Amino acid sequence: DGVAVLPAPQNLSMQSTNMKHVLTWSPVIVPEEIIRYSVEYQGEYESLYTSHIWIPSSWCSPTQRPECDITEDITATVSYSLRVRATLGSLTSAWSTLKHRFNQNSTILTPPGMEITMDGFHLLIKLEDLGPHFEFFVFYWRREPGAKEHVKVVRPGVLPVYLETVEPGAAYCVKARTFVKAIGRHSAFSRTECVKVQGEALPL
Amino acid sequence: GLKTLHLGSCVITTNLQGIRSGFSEIRDSVQAKDEIIDIRILRKTQFLQGTKPADQCCLLHHILRLYLDRVFKNYQPPDHHIFRKVSRLANSLLTIKKDLRLCHAHMSCPCGEEAKEKYSQILSHFEELPPQAAAVKALGELDILLRWMEEV
Repeated sequence: DGVAVLPAPQNLSMQSTNMKHVLTWSPVIVPEEIIRYSVEYQGEYESLYTSHIWIPSSWCSPTQRPECDITEDITATVSYSLRVRATLGSLTSAWSTLKHRFNQNSTILTPPGMEITMDGFHLLIKLEDLGPHFEFFVFYWRREPGAKEHVKVVRPGVLPVYLETVEPGAAYCVKARTFVKAIGRHSAFSRTECVKVQGEALPL
Repeated sequence: GLKTLHLGSCVITTNLQGIRSGFSEIRDSVQAKDEIIDIRILRKTQFLQGTKPADQCCLLHHILRLYLDRVFKNYQPPDHHIFRKVSRLANSLLTIKKDLRLCHAHMSCPCGEEAKEKYSQILSHFEELPPQAAAVKALGELDILLRWMEEV
Protein backbone atom coordinates (compact mmCIF):
# COMPACT_ATOMS: atom_id res chain seq x y z
CA ASP A 1 0.00 0.00 0.00
CA GLY A 2 3.00 2.29 0.09
CA VAL A 3 1.87 3.57 3.48
CA ALA A 4 4.35 2.66 6.19
CA VAL A 5 2.52 4.34 9.03
CA LEU A 6 -1.10 5.44 9.03
CA PRO A 7 -1.55 8.87 10.60
CA ALA A 8 -3.96 9.12 13.50
CA PRO A 9 -7.19 11.11 13.02
CA GLN A 10 -6.85 14.75 14.10
CA ASN A 11 -9.12 17.57 15.28
CA LEU A 12 -11.51 15.41 17.26
CA SER A 13 -14.52 17.45 18.28
CA MET A 14 -17.86 16.82 19.95
CA GLN A 15 -21.12 18.42 18.80
CA SER A 16 -24.04 17.86 21.16
CA THR A 17 -27.43 19.45 20.65
CA ASN A 18 -30.71 18.37 22.23
CA MET A 19 -29.15 15.20 23.63
CA LYS A 20 -27.85 14.06 20.25
CA HIS A 21 -24.11 13.62 20.49
CA VAL A 22 -21.87 13.45 17.39
CA LEU A 23 -18.11 13.02 17.43
CA THR A 24 -16.28 14.39 14.38
CA TRP A 25 -12.65 14.41 13.21
CA SER A 26 -10.56 15.34 10.21
CA PRO A 27 -10.44 12.50 7.67
CA VAL A 28 -7.20 10.63 7.12
CA ILE A 29 -6.38 10.86 3.44
CA VAL A 30 -4.52 8.14 1.53
CA PRO A 31 -5.00 8.59 -2.22
CA GLU A 32 -7.22 5.95 -3.83
CA GLU A 33 -7.65 4.08 -0.57
CA ILE A 34 -10.66 3.61 1.67
CA ILE A 35 -9.90 4.47 5.27
CA ARG A 36 -12.06 3.04 8.03
CA TYR A 37 -12.33 4.36 11.54
CA SER A 38 -13.09 2.75 14.87
CA VAL A 39 -14.52 4.68 17.80
CA GLU A 40 -14.34 3.56 21.40
CA TYR A 41 -15.50 5.10 24.66
CA GLN A 42 -14.98 4.89 28.40
CA GLY A 43 -17.42 6.08 31.00
CA GLU A 44 -16.27 7.47 34.31
CA TYR A 45 -16.73 4.00 35.80
CA GLU A 46 -14.32 2.43 33.31
CA SER A 47 -11.82 5.24 33.77
CA LEU A 48 -11.85 4.81 37.53
CA TYR A 49 -12.21 1.04 37.94
CA THR A 50 -11.09 -0.65 34.72
CA SER A 51 -8.98 1.95 32.93
CA HIS A 52 -7.52 -0.55 30.46
CA ILE A 53 -10.99 -1.30 29.12
CA TRP A 54 -12.51 0.65 26.23
CA ILE A 55 -15.90 -0.12 24.73
CA PRO A 56 -16.48 -0.16 20.95
CA SER A 57 -19.17 2.36 19.99
CA SER A 58 -22.51 0.97 18.84
CA TRP A 59 -22.43 2.35 15.29
CA CYS A 60 -18.85 3.19 14.38
CA SER A 61 -16.65 0.19 14.85
CA PRO A 62 -15.90 0.43 12.02
CA THR A 63 -17.18 3.30 9.87
CA GLN A 64 -15.95 5.05 6.71
CA ARG A 65 -17.25 8.49 7.63
CA PRO A 66 -15.21 10.94 9.72
CA GLU A 67 -18.00 11.25 12.27
CA CYS A 68 -19.87 9.07 14.74
CA ASP A 69 -23.27 9.40 16.41
CA ILE A 70 -22.54 8.21 19.92
CA THR A 71 -25.91 9.17 21.37
CA GLU A 72 -26.77 5.55 22.23
CA ASP A 73 -23.44 5.02 23.91
CA ILE A 74 -23.68 8.01 26.25
CA THR A 75 -26.27 6.58 28.62
CA ALA A 76 -25.39 8.03 32.02
CA THR A 77 -24.78 11.56 33.27
CA VAL A 78 -21.09 11.01 33.90
CA SER A 79 -18.05 12.14 31.93
CA TYR A 80 -16.92 10.01 29.00
CA SER A 81 -13.59 9.65 27.22
CA LEU A 82 -13.68 8.99 23.48
CA ARG A 83 -11.01 7.85 21.04
CA VAL A 84 -10.71 7.13 17.32
CA ARG A 85 -8.19 5.36 15.16
CA ALA A 86 -7.89 4.80 11.40
CA THR A 87 -7.50 1.48 9.65
CA LEU A 88 -6.32 0.62 6.13
CA GLY A 89 -6.16 -3.08 5.53
CA SER A 90 -3.83 -4.45 8.18
CA LEU A 91 -2.47 -1.00 8.99
CA THR A 92 -3.90 0.78 12.01
CA SER A 93 -3.06 4.24 13.26
CA ALA A 94 -2.46 5.26 16.82
CA TRP A 95 -5.50 6.21 18.86
CA SER A 96 -6.51 9.86 19.03
CA THR A 97 -8.39 10.75 22.21
CA LEU A 98 -10.87 13.61 22.57
CA LYS A 99 -9.04 16.32 24.48
CA HIS A 100 -11.81 17.04 27.00
CA ARG A 101 -14.07 14.40 28.48
CA PHE A 102 -17.70 14.75 27.47
CA ASN A 103 -20.75 14.83 29.76
CA GLN A 104 -24.25 14.88 28.35
CA ASN A 105 -25.20 17.61 30.80
CA SER A 106 -23.29 20.02 28.53
CA THR A 107 -25.58 19.42 25.57
CA ILE A 108 -27.02 22.55 23.91
CA LEU A 109 -30.77 22.78 24.43
CA THR A 110 -32.61 24.79 21.80
CA PRO A 111 -36.05 26.34 22.22
CA PRO A 112 -38.63 23.92 20.84
CA GLY A 113 -40.30 24.40 17.49
CA MET A 114 -44.05 24.72 17.92
CA GLU A 115 -47.20 25.25 15.85
CA ILE A 116 -50.38 26.77 17.28
CA THR A 117 -53.61 25.66 15.62
CA MET A 118 -57.34 26.02 16.26
CA ASP A 119 -59.82 23.19 16.03
CA GLY A 120 -63.12 25.00 16.26
CA PHE A 121 -62.84 26.80 19.60
CA HIS A 122 -60.05 24.51 20.84
CA LEU A 123 -56.55 25.95 21.08
CA LEU A 124 -54.03 23.27 20.19
CA ILE A 125 -50.23 23.11 20.09
CA LYS A 126 -48.00 20.82 18.08
CA LEU A 127 -44.44 20.49 19.40
CA GLU A 128 -41.20 19.40 17.76
CA ASP A 129 -40.41 15.74 18.45
CA LEU A 130 -37.01 15.80 20.15
CA GLY A 131 -36.96 12.26 21.45
CA PRO A 132 -37.64 10.39 24.69
CA HIS A 133 -35.49 12.57 26.94
CA PHE A 134 -37.63 15.67 26.45
CA GLU A 135 -40.61 17.10 28.28
CA PHE A 136 -42.20 20.39 27.27
CA PHE A 137 -43.45 23.16 29.54
CA VAL A 138 -46.13 25.08 27.64
CA PHE A 139 -47.18 28.49 29.00
CA TYR A 140 -50.36 30.05 27.62
CA TRP A 141 -52.55 32.99 28.51
CA ARG A 142 -55.34 35.16 27.19
CA ARG A 143 -53.95 38.44 25.89
CA GLU A 144 -55.64 40.96 28.13
CA PRO A 145 -54.56 42.99 31.14
CA GLY A 146 -54.10 40.91 34.29
CA ALA A 147 -54.60 37.63 32.47
CA LYS A 148 -53.49 34.51 34.35
CA GLU A 149 -50.66 32.44 32.84
CA HIS A 150 -51.35 28.69 32.65
CA VAL A 151 -48.74 25.95 32.42
CA LYS A 152 -49.08 22.49 30.90
CA VAL A 153 -46.39 19.78 31.02
CA VAL A 154 -46.30 17.74 27.85
CA ARG A 155 -44.61 14.32 27.83
CA PRO A 156 -42.69 13.10 24.78
CA GLY A 157 -44.72 11.77 21.87
CA VAL A 158 -48.06 13.42 22.75
CA LEU A 159 -49.17 15.42 19.69
CA PRO A 160 -51.05 17.74 19.21
CA VAL A 161 -51.97 18.95 22.70
CA TYR A 162 -55.23 20.61 23.67
CA LEU A 163 -54.57 23.76 25.66
CA GLU A 164 -57.83 25.58 26.17
CA THR A 165 -61.33 26.31 24.89
CA VAL A 166 -61.21 29.87 23.59
CA GLU A 167 -63.78 32.65 23.20
CA PRO A 168 -64.65 34.40 19.94
CA GLY A 169 -62.89 37.74 19.42
CA ALA A 170 -60.27 37.06 22.11
CA ALA A 171 -56.51 36.65 21.52
CA TYR A 172 -54.36 33.98 23.11
CA CYS A 173 -50.57 33.67 23.40
CA VAL A 174 -48.35 30.64 23.86
CA LYS A 175 -44.65 29.98 24.52
CA ALA A 176 -42.81 26.77 25.40
CA ARG A 177 -39.49 25.40 26.57
CA THR A 178 -38.05 21.93 26.91
CA PHE A 179 -36.89 20.10 30.05
CA VAL A 180 -34.51 17.13 30.20
CA LYS A 181 -34.81 15.20 33.46
CA ALA A 182 -31.66 13.16 32.94
CA ILE A 183 -29.55 16.30 33.20
CA GLY A 184 -31.97 18.54 35.13
CA ARG A 185 -31.82 21.38 32.63
CA HIS A 186 -34.32 23.26 30.47
CA SER A 187 -33.97 25.22 27.24
CA ALA A 188 -34.66 28.89 26.64
CA PHE A 189 -38.22 29.82 25.79
CA SER A 190 -39.48 29.67 22.26
CA ARG A 191 -40.79 32.85 20.66
CA THR A 192 -44.24 33.78 21.96
CA GLU A 193 -46.94 33.09 19.38
CA CYS A 194 -50.40 34.69 19.55
CA VAL A 195 -53.62 33.87 17.72
CA LYS A 196 -56.81 35.92 17.38
CA VAL A 197 -60.06 33.96 17.53
CA GLN A 198 -62.58 34.69 14.76
CA GLY A 199 -66.03 36.06 15.55
CA GLU A 200 -67.54 38.75 17.75
CA ALA A 201 -66.50 39.06 21.37
CA LEU A 202 -69.28 37.79 23.65
CA PRO A 203 -71.29 40.56 25.45
CA LEU A 204 -70.30 40.98 29.12
CA GLY B 1 -38.82 9.73 35.80
CA LEU B 2 -36.56 10.90 38.57
CA LYS B 3 -36.98 9.22 41.95
CA THR B 4 -36.09 11.00 45.18
CA LEU B 5 -34.47 8.68 47.73
CA HIS B 6 -34.89 9.74 51.35
CA LEU B 7 -32.12 7.86 53.15
CA GLY B 8 -32.34 9.29 56.61
CA SER B 9 -31.07 12.84 56.35
CA CYS B 10 -29.46 12.11 52.98
CA VAL B 11 -31.76 12.96 50.10
CA ILE B 12 -30.75 12.25 46.51
CA THR B 13 -32.57 12.05 43.19
CA THR B 14 -31.81 9.44 40.61
CA ASN B 15 -33.17 8.11 37.33
CA LEU B 16 -34.17 4.69 38.73
CA GLN B 17 -36.56 4.16 35.84
CA GLY B 18 -33.71 4.53 33.33
CA ILE B 19 -31.50 2.17 35.33
CA ARG B 20 -34.28 -0.40 35.61
CA SER B 21 -34.98 -0.27 31.87
CA GLY B 22 -31.27 -0.69 31.19
CA PHE B 23 -31.12 -3.70 33.52
CA SER B 24 -34.25 -5.31 32.10
CA GLU B 25 -32.52 -5.52 28.72
CA ILE B 26 -29.84 -7.86 30.09
CA ARG B 27 -31.53 -9.49 33.11
CA ASP B 28 -32.54 -12.74 31.42
CA SER B 29 -29.15 -13.15 29.77
CA VAL B 30 -27.27 -12.51 33.01
CA GLN B 31 -29.53 -14.60 35.25
CA ALA B 32 -29.35 -17.49 32.80
CA LYS B 33 -25.61 -17.74 33.49
CA ASP B 34 -26.15 -17.98 37.28
CA GLU B 35 -25.88 -21.72 37.94
CA ILE B 36 -25.76 -21.53 41.75
CA ILE B 37 -29.38 -21.58 42.84
CA ASP B 38 -29.11 -22.33 46.53
CA ILE B 39 -27.35 -19.13 47.51
CA ARG B 40 -28.70 -15.61 47.48
CA ILE B 41 -26.56 -12.52 48.14
CA LEU B 42 -29.21 -9.84 48.70
CA ARG B 43 -31.76 -11.25 51.12
CA LYS B 44 -35.02 -9.84 52.30
CA THR B 45 -33.72 -9.55 55.84
CA GLN B 46 -31.16 -6.99 54.80
CA PHE B 47 -33.38 -4.89 52.64
CA LEU B 48 -33.05 -1.14 52.90
CA GLN B 49 -36.60 -0.40 53.83
CA GLY B 50 -36.36 -2.50 56.97
CA THR B 51 -33.22 -0.65 58.00
CA LYS B 52 -33.58 2.28 60.29
CA PRO B 53 -33.47 5.49 58.24
CA ALA B 54 -30.27 6.80 59.77
CA ASP B 55 -28.39 3.70 58.56
CA GLN B 56 -29.93 3.40 55.08
CA CYS B 57 -27.48 5.73 53.36
CA CYS B 58 -24.44 3.91 54.73
CA LEU B 59 -25.82 0.49 53.83
CA LEU B 60 -26.63 1.55 50.28
CA HIS B 61 -23.25 3.28 49.95
CA HIS B 62 -21.43 0.09 50.93
CA ILE B 63 -23.55 -2.09 48.66
CA LEU B 64 -22.92 0.21 45.69
CA ARG B 65 -19.20 0.14 46.43
CA LEU B 66 -19.35 -3.66 46.38
CA TYR B 67 -21.04 -3.58 42.99
CA LEU B 68 -18.59 -1.06 41.55
CA ASP B 69 -15.45 -2.62 43.04
CA ARG B 70 -16.18 -6.30 42.68
CA VAL B 71 -19.25 -7.03 40.60
CA PHE B 72 -18.91 -4.95 37.45
CA LYS B 73 -15.14 -5.38 37.57
CA ASN B 74 -15.30 -9.18 37.63
CA TYR B 75 -18.21 -9.62 35.30
CA GLN B 76 -17.20 -10.89 31.84
CA PRO B 77 -19.83 -9.71 29.32
CA PRO B 78 -20.45 -12.28 26.56
CA ASP B 79 -20.69 -9.64 23.80
CA HIS B 80 -20.40 -5.95 23.03
CA HIS B 81 -24.15 -5.39 23.35
CA ILE B 82 -24.21 -6.67 26.94
CA PHE B 83 -20.93 -4.87 27.57
CA ARG B 84 -22.51 -1.50 26.70
CA LYS B 85 -25.58 -2.19 28.80
CA VAL B 86 -23.44 -3.18 31.80
CA SER B 87 -21.36 -0.04 31.30
CA ARG B 88 -24.55 2.02 31.42
CA LEU B 89 -25.53 0.36 34.71
CA ALA B 90 -22.09 0.79 36.22
CA ASN B 91 -21.90 4.46 35.31
CA SER B 92 -25.46 5.09 36.53
CA LEU B 93 -24.74 3.44 39.89
CA LEU B 94 -21.50 5.40 40.06
CA THR B 95 -23.58 8.57 39.80
CA ILE B 96 -25.66 7.48 42.79
CA LYS B 97 -22.57 6.54 44.76
CA LYS B 98 -21.07 9.98 44.09
CA ASP B 99 -24.23 11.58 45.46
CA LEU B 100 -24.02 9.38 48.57
CA ARG B 101 -20.40 10.35 48.99
CA LEU B 102 -21.54 13.99 49.09
CA CYS B 103 -23.93 13.08 51.90
CA HIS B 104 -21.03 11.36 53.64
CA ALA B 105 -18.95 14.50 53.27
CA HIS B 106 -21.79 16.48 54.84
CA MET B 107 -22.08 14.08 57.76
CA SER B 108 -25.50 12.87 56.67
CA CYS B 109 -24.50 9.29 55.95
CA PRO B 110 -23.54 7.80 59.34
CA CYS B 111 -22.68 4.12 59.69
CA GLY B 112 -24.46 2.59 62.64
CA GLU B 113 -24.28 -0.96 63.89
CA GLU B 114 -27.30 -2.07 61.90
CA ALA B 115 -25.78 -0.95 58.60
CA LYS B 116 -22.46 -2.60 59.43
CA GLU B 117 -24.15 -5.83 60.49
CA LYS B 118 -26.36 -6.05 57.42
CA TYR B 119 -23.53 -5.23 55.06
CA SER B 120 -21.23 -7.81 56.61
CA GLN B 121 -23.96 -10.42 56.10
CA ILE B 122 -24.25 -9.43 52.44
CA LEU B 123 -20.48 -9.54 52.07
CA SER B 124 -20.27 -12.98 53.64
CA HIS B 125 -22.90 -14.34 51.22
CA PHE B 126 -20.97 -12.71 48.37
CA GLU B 127 -17.66 -14.20 49.47
CA GLU B 128 -19.09 -17.72 49.72
CA LEU B 129 -18.79 -17.81 45.95
CA PRO B 130 -15.81 -17.61 43.60
CA PRO B 131 -15.37 -14.03 42.27
CA GLN B 132 -16.76 -14.69 38.80
CA ALA B 133 -19.78 -16.62 40.05
CA ALA B 134 -20.41 -14.00 42.72
CA ALA B 135 -20.29 -11.25 40.10
CA VAL B 136 -22.80 -13.04 37.88
CA LYS B 137 -25.16 -13.72 40.80
CA ALA B 138 -24.93 -10.20 42.21
CA LEU B 139 -25.51 -8.65 38.79
CA GLY B 140 -28.53 -10.88 38.34
CA GLU B 141 -29.81 -9.70 41.73
CA LEU B 142 -29.54 -6.04 40.75
CA ASP B 143 -33.32 -5.90 40.40
CA ILE B 144 -33.56 -6.70 44.11
CA LEU B 145 -31.33 -3.72 44.86
CA LEU B 146 -33.35 -1.53 42.50
CA ARG B 147 -36.55 -2.64 44.21
CA TRP B 148 -35.02 -1.76 47.58
CA MET B 149 -34.26 1.71 46.28
CA GLU B 150 -37.72 2.07 44.77
CA GLU B 151 -39.29 1.12 48.10
CA VAL B 152 -37.33 3.66 50.11
